[in-house]
Amino acid sequence: MKPRLNVLWNEIYCKRCLLCVEVCPVQVLTLERNEIEEKEGCIRCYQCERYCPDIAIEVMDEKGEK
Amino acid sequence: MDRSYKELLKLRRFPHTWCPGCGIGAVLKNVAMVMKELGWNYKNTVAVSGIGCSGRMSGYMNLDALHTPHGRPLTAAEAIKTVRSDLNVMVLSGDGDLASIGGNHLLHTSRRNPDITVFCNDNEIYGLTGGQAGPTTPQGTKTLTSPRGEHHSPLRLGRILTQQAPYFYARTTVYHLNHFKTCIREALLWKGFSFVDIISDCIELNGRRLGFKTAHQMFKWFDERFHIVEGERDQLQEDELGIAKAVVKEVPRPAEKEEVKPEIPMEGLKPFTLEELERFDGQEGRPIYMAYQGKVYDLSASPLFQGEKRMRCHLGGKDLTKDLDIAPHGEDLIFKFPLVGKME
Repeated sequence: MKPRLNVLWNEIYCKRCLLCVEVCPVQVLTLERNEIEEKEGCIRCYQCERYCPDIAIEVMDEKGEK
Repeated sequence: MDRSYKELLKLRRFPHTWCPGCGIGAVLKNVAMVMKELGWNYKNTVAVSGIGCSGRMSGYMNLDALHTPHGRPLTAAEAIKTVRSDLNVMVLSGDGDLASIGGNHLLHTSRRNPDITVFCNDNEIYGLTGGQAGPTTPQGTKTLTSPRGEHHSPLRLGRILTQQAPYFYARTTVYHLNHFKTCIREALLWKGFSFVDIISDCIELNGRRLGFKTAHQMFKWFDERFHIVEGERDQLQEDELGIAKAVVKEVPRPAEKEEVKPEIPMEGLKPFTLEELERFDGQEGRPIYMAYQGKVYDLSASPLFQGEKRMRCHLGGKDLTKDLDIAPHGEDLIFKFPLVGKME
């Protein structure tokens, strides 16, 4: 697994419902090889974290902390 | 972003058992977030849930929780609130539990208006048992038990619960998150019975049959079907999201009339003895007299006293003071009749 840029992803909690992938306004999240991957360009809108029903996604703030 | 709401969830039991994309996870998370904002925790809150997928919500909350038989979360919640009125009681359940088998409890608990908050995860289907048509399934929906479309029109919870003040009914969806959290907060703070109808998605057992591929497509469908209305409302139409609430207007009580007992002059009345009184028993055309508290009344005009006995038990020509104490009516019935004398 690649190091995280902005979005922390909990592999155990995640059920791969892909809500975060579809709700992202800049489409930086993708599902690749059964893992949520993140590309460059997160605008930190927190939509993925707000919509995730499994508390599997956390967006880090500018300092890279939770 | 504040993530302290996680201490209200039993994270050691995660991941939870609901299907991928299920709306119940969003309900659980947002209720926990608002509870944390309001400062509610395991010391002052009890969660009650019923049967169904949504019945597991109380088990994932870090609170004292009660998992009740099918359809009975409201009765248990009302009992808890009655015994421990200092606790905040909330019901986390679904539409199959609250509206179908618990429909009668829903009617009567809302009528009695206890201070409990109900979160109804309304996914318009019986989700746990495989996707049968439930009471809130919209007409024409294809389900497991209605492959050509549901025949009957759904139960309109919004109409049932807003028929008599005081009421609090909020309809929201898991897609409109800000509105959802506002509804939860207002419902938790409402004094009295408050009901939040959360339109939720059941993607695995309902959405796939309707043709949706992901939960997000179903969320977009909610966005097309419903629109948010602002401000205070008395009623919500079927396509509106919002809060309908009403309080009872305080009606000033009419001042109680003072009972005025007729003052009857005792002088000038004809004195009767008991032997004389017994002659007036209604037999052979004689009038019917009776004595009450030392006065003699003429009951000949009473329609119930015809044929010597009133209601087949009281005889004319007697002192009926003691009989009136156990009679179903008061003494005001006797004052209607003419006063003819007094007892010696």
